[in-house]
Amino acid sequence: MFDNLDTIDSRALRPTDCYGQRFMRPGTYHYHVLPSGGQHINRERPYVVRVSDPKDKGPAMQQLTLMVAWNGRELRPDKIDVSVNTGDLVVWNCPHPAAPPYEVAGDKDFFNSARLVNECGFSHAFGLPGTYRWADAFGSGVGGTVHVLAPRCRTPAELAQWQSDLARATVVMISHGKAEPAHVEIATGQTVYFAIVAGKGISVTDTRLHTIGNCGHTATTVG
Amino acid sequence: MAEIIAAVDEGGANTLLGDAIQTIGTQSKSGSGSLGPFTASYNLTGHFTNGTVDLIAPGTVRIDQLRFDWNVDLSFQIDLNSFLPHFCLPQVCVDIPCVGTVCTPKICVSWPTITVPVSFGDFVEATADFGIDVSLNGGNWKVQIVVQNVSQLQFGPGTAGILALIGAAITPILLAIPFIGPFLAIAVDTILLAIGIAGVTGFLGPIISPFISGLKIPVYNQAKHFQVLPAAGPNDPAVFVELDAVTAGIQHSDEDELVLSVDISP
Repeated sequence: MFDNLDTIDSRALRPTDCYGQRFMRPGTYHYHVLPSGGQHINRERPYVVRVSDPKDKGPAMQQLTLMVAWNGRELRPDKIDVSVNTGDLVVWNCPHPAAPPYEVAGDKDFFNSARLVNECGFSHAFGLPGTYRWADAFGSGVGGTVHVLAPRCRTPAELAQWQSDLARATVVMISHGKAEPAHVEIATGQTVYFAIVAGKGISVTDTRLHTIGNCGHTATTVG
Repeated sequence: MAEIIAAVDEGGANTLLGDAIQTIGTQSKSGSGSLGPFTASYNLTGHFTNGTVDLIAPGTVRIDQLRFDWNVDLSFQIDLNSFLPHFCLPQVCVDIPCVGTVCTPKICVSWPTITVPVSFGDFVEATADFGIDVSLNGGNWKVQIVVQNVSQLQFGPGTAGILALIGAAITPILLAIPFIGPFLAIAVDTILLAIGIAGVTGFLGPIISPFISGLKIPVYNQAKHFQVLPAAGPNDPAVFVELDAVTAGIQHSDEDELVLSVDISP
């Protein structure tokens, strides 16, 4: 039993998590939003991101945010067929409190929230104070620590200050097996955005979860 | 004509009824009730302890400070969304080098429903007036005093501390809920204010009252076919008398007495 019920795992996205993916090449990318681990059971990829490369697109990256709904049976983005330009970012979030932990599974290797490859990101808002040690559940060795401090909220002014501070986030850049900075300190409720620049495919996973549901990647053995 | 008369004064009645109360044993009750705005399931056990007997002619036995020691295990659920406003994480934007600005959406947090288990105990006191009930059932004469009227329940001093106990029970549960930490004091205060002392006594009163209002204390229980002497041999059988009638009441002479009168026949 964990003494801290807030956990972080990019393989199993939760309401205060986001997965973002940039699309660097034109094409049609199919995907599904499934309960965590479901991509290996359900091979359908019914939703679409169409990426074009118009000559007149601006230099700045554009972001499209897709809100995922949970109807008690399936996870479904609010727009099932979207179009973006090359280099743009699509972000997924499912705020439904009853939704199961989920993953965004694309039909290309780079497009998968369960295994972050490149030009993508995972954010988590930390709801409970404590020290969170995270590492790649796929064994690359990358990892770090997030120290989440309880804010001082004894007066209305302190509470307001804390709420104001929630708009600030911390970025951890991950590239080729290295996290920078590896150790960060934030206040409860603040967000850490893990930006994966390049790599072979990692997860950002609470080390307490490494022995759970991770066939073949840890010391846990089956049978 | 009464042929056997037994009488006890108030001192004797205190001893008699004190012993009788002890024989009642532990009472228990389970169910659910309203704890302020919440529905709580409970399991309450308790037992009567002491009281001071006052005999009032012609037929009232008053027990002052009749005390019932109780302990209750209760559990209730709180839908925190009913007590705390929605809390939303604001949109958060970060600048990623060589990429640009990435923003998360505003994310509103839904509070969960929590289950709070609490155990506590205290005592309650009341003054109860009992009538005297005499009956013949299954060949046995039974005399018992039966509650006729009960004063308002007076909860012990510990009852006021129950809110603090509930607060102490809620706090660690809330601390495990993401994002609620900074609002912890507000949440606990809001919940306790919603219950209030009135909620606690309003919850306990209807549970405990029936134990007292339905109280029957046995005083006398004897077979109608009453053995006076045991058998002393084959030619000397046991001697029985019939208890034809039993009456009981409070008589006042120079002092108040509980008087039991029995008519007998061979």
